[in-house]
Amino acid sequence: MANTLSLYRTVKRMGIPDSHIILMLADDAACNARNKKPAAVYDHPRKAKDLYGDNIEVDYRGYEVTVENFIRLLTGRVSPDTPRNKRLLTDDKSNIFIYMTGHGGEDFLKFQDAEEINSYDIADAFEQMREKQRYHEILFMIDTCQANTMYSKFNSENILSIGSSKKGENSYSHFHDFDLGVSVIDRFTYYNLDFFESVDMSSKQTLADLVHTYNTSLILSHPGVRSDMFARDLSKVRNLLHGHLGCQELVPCENEEGGDDEEKGPERTYLTDFFGAVQNIELTAEAFPIGQVQDKARQ
Amino acid sequence: MPALVDKIRALFRGKGQDKAIISVHSDRIVVVLSILSVFLLGLPLWWTTTRVYRADLPSTQIAQYTHSDVLEIPFNFYVDSPRISPETVQGLVDAKLAKSRLPYRSDKLQVAFTAQVQHGPAPDLPGHYTVETREEGGVAIVGTGRSMQIPVTTTTDANEAAAKWIARIVGKEEREVRAAEGRALKYSPEYAVTFTLINEDPTGGLSVDWKIEQALAVYLQPFIDTVSPLTKLSVSSQVLHHAGPLPVTPQRAANHTYLTTDALPHFINSAGWNLASTDPVSPMLNFILFVPKRDSQPLLILDDHRTQSNTNAFLIPQWGGIAVANFPESAHGHVMISQADLQAYMGIFIAQLRQLLGVRSDTPLPSVKDRVIVQRATATGISGWEFDAQARRWLANNRQTAVTTLSSLITLVESMQNMVVMDNIKDQVDASLAALAKISRARIAVDHARACQDAIVAATKAEGAFFDPSMVSMLYFPDQHKYAIYLPFFLPVAIPLFHALKRVAKDVVAKRKTKTE
Repeated sequence: MANTLSLYRTVKRMGIPDSHIILMLADDAACNARNKKPAAVYDHPRKAKDLYGDNIEVDYRGYEVTVENFIRLLTGRVSPDTPRNKRLLTDDKSNIFIYMTGHGGEDFLKFQDAEEINSYDIADAFEQMREKQRYHEILFMIDTCQANTMYSKFNSENILSIGSSKKGENSYSHFHDFDLGVSVIDRFTYYNLDFFESVDMSSKQTLADLVHTYNTSLILSHPGVRSDMFARDLSKVRNLLHGHLGCQELVPCENEEGGDDEEKGPERTYLTDFFGAVQNIELTAEAFPIGQVQDKARQ
Repeated sequence: MPALVDKIRALFRGKGQDKAIISVHSDRIVVVLSILSVFLLGLPLWWTTTRVYRADLPSTQIAQYTHSDVLEIPFNFYVDSPRISPETVQGLVDAKLAKSRLPYRSDKLQVAFTAQVQHGPAPDLPGHYTVETREEGGVAIVGTGRSMQIPVTTTTDANEAAAKWIARIVGKEEREVRAAEGRALKYSPEYAVTFTLINEDPTGGLSVDWKIEQALAVYLQPFIDTVSPLTKLSVSSQVLHHAGPLPVTPQRAANHTYLTTDALPHFINSAGWNLASTDPVSPMLNFILFVPKRDSQPLLILDDHRTQSNTNAFLIPQWGGIAVANFPESAHGHVMISQADLQAYMGIFIAQLRQLLGVRSDTPLPSVKDRVIVQRATATGISGWEFDAQARRWLANNRQTAVTTLSSLITLVESMQNMVVMDNIKDQVDASLAALAKISRARIAVDHARACQDAIVAATKAEGAFFDPSMVSMLYFPDQHKYAIYLPFFLPVAIPLFHALKRVAKDVVAKRKTKTE
């Protein structure tokens, strides 16, 4: 859960508003009676920064976080009475960043301990999104055991995927909080965040810079990058962390302990392309002569 | 039942054979066969109960519409001058348009704009234009309705002149529609338009309110009414006080503060300003009138040459527009912006709204000093020419959306064999096809806006079918899962059954052997 929340904070810091972030948290750890620090979630045993804080908008929580809802969200097939914050209103100009984490294995990721999403399901959903031009580019990032198998089935254009560990490998957690008795953050996510700390809205860092920071001896697994469905060169993809707004959606979703979370944000391959909001603006040259007499307007 | 059992026994009982021994064997056969027959009878039941309902979608009808079809949209021009012969002009226009038409590219809209020239008065419908000739001066005047006056001197060839203007208008618009620009929003049947007045910090001595309802009724309502046949603009407004500082700090100069263009992308405080809409689906258009705090007034927006922009306003493509309002130093305490004072700001917002919707001010032709005068529709905010151009663009876009969505739907349904396809999906597809069928060249020629409405229905129904909540297929089921479900049921039954079958076979073979001996 702290994985997702940390990423949520990072993306928000890059200037993406809550309205463009879809946060899915399967487990209400913050308000769990066994939480020693009520209504607070930390990603470090030192408990320096409360990730839950007072400005958080969780869009899907608890039992709403299901495989079905996630697929419906991606493909846009939600029931008509779904509120705006639970919809992915993207179009062909949107860059989407999806981050998922949780317990998983080869070709699957568990949701809520009870069900699992399959790599085929996600690949299908992405293909349908492509059919209906629901995205411009997708950055898919997943932190789970054997994570790289999850993106192996993708077959749609303009999707860049990053996984935490290759097939047959576990992804390990980083800090253990003895007060809670659980690990609070995973290594892969932790080192990603570490890098993102150096990035701000005007950063010119590229995705390739991010990938170069992956250190197998620290992460204890082999992160994988799949860029064959992605037309641009990673080193030209700078603002992963902050993109032009247009219509940006960012979907962190989180599931259970360690969570499963995803985020989406539309952007360029700058880090800011996927993680932040920068838009082009245009000065308005002249006002429309509304309500003026025609002769005056003609002058 | 015993009679049936006896009959089956009799089948296996050879002539003159020992009755007692055979009857043991035949009992086993009866039992095994009856269990087997239960399975066999159950098969069709299992088949029908696990089969999913799939309505039969009209895929051949959908296949008629392909992406590469060229949609022809004819303009009607009515000339009334005795010096102009419609037939001659028609020939000239066709030749000019054919010559200037660019080759089609598969990734762009496939449209062909043509012109029909005739005599007589024009009906007041979208797509019908009156062309008058004027002899004095060399200036063409485009009216705010659907008419224009072209300059024809006594010495020039009137047919050639008329053809030149008509071909310019039609050709220009075709090029624009085919090279879609990125600033305008995608078509939607409804847009949620929000006007927000933001007081950065009223504690500094300036608290502003506005007469927005009156201003909207006077300046925006005519625009809303005019475009209502094509799209609905639902308007709301709000005032935010104590909105907090901007994410960017204005730079200070001697007697003002300023922001340059590179700071403007960070102008919106998306975390702090509540600009959320209650509308679940419609695209949002935000228009913000920003009142800076007293001691940073006047706040100026500088362009790239560091000169003050004309309007002190800017546009964020796909998002909305922002205007900065400064007040004279004498203004203090509670200030109300009157309807009359809002006129200037509404003018800015309408200019921005037009840009966001894709209305071009150079429709049908750009203004050229001393050559072309395009009258501005100051009463409604959108002229007849502009409205029609919008209808044509949305007609082409929506028709394209409908065609591609329907073919995507067929691909989807065919690729997922275990997905339920309900009857209401078929109904929507049929409705979409019916609306598509209405968009023919002849019907477009009658009324461009009506054709656009048909295209909107076609696109809406097609998307309704594609995004129907029931169209989420069964989750992917790997074969291993199927084994895992069926094996625990059938393995315990199957093993004794196969054993018994084997024994029966053995008995039969043994029986044959004894028979031949």
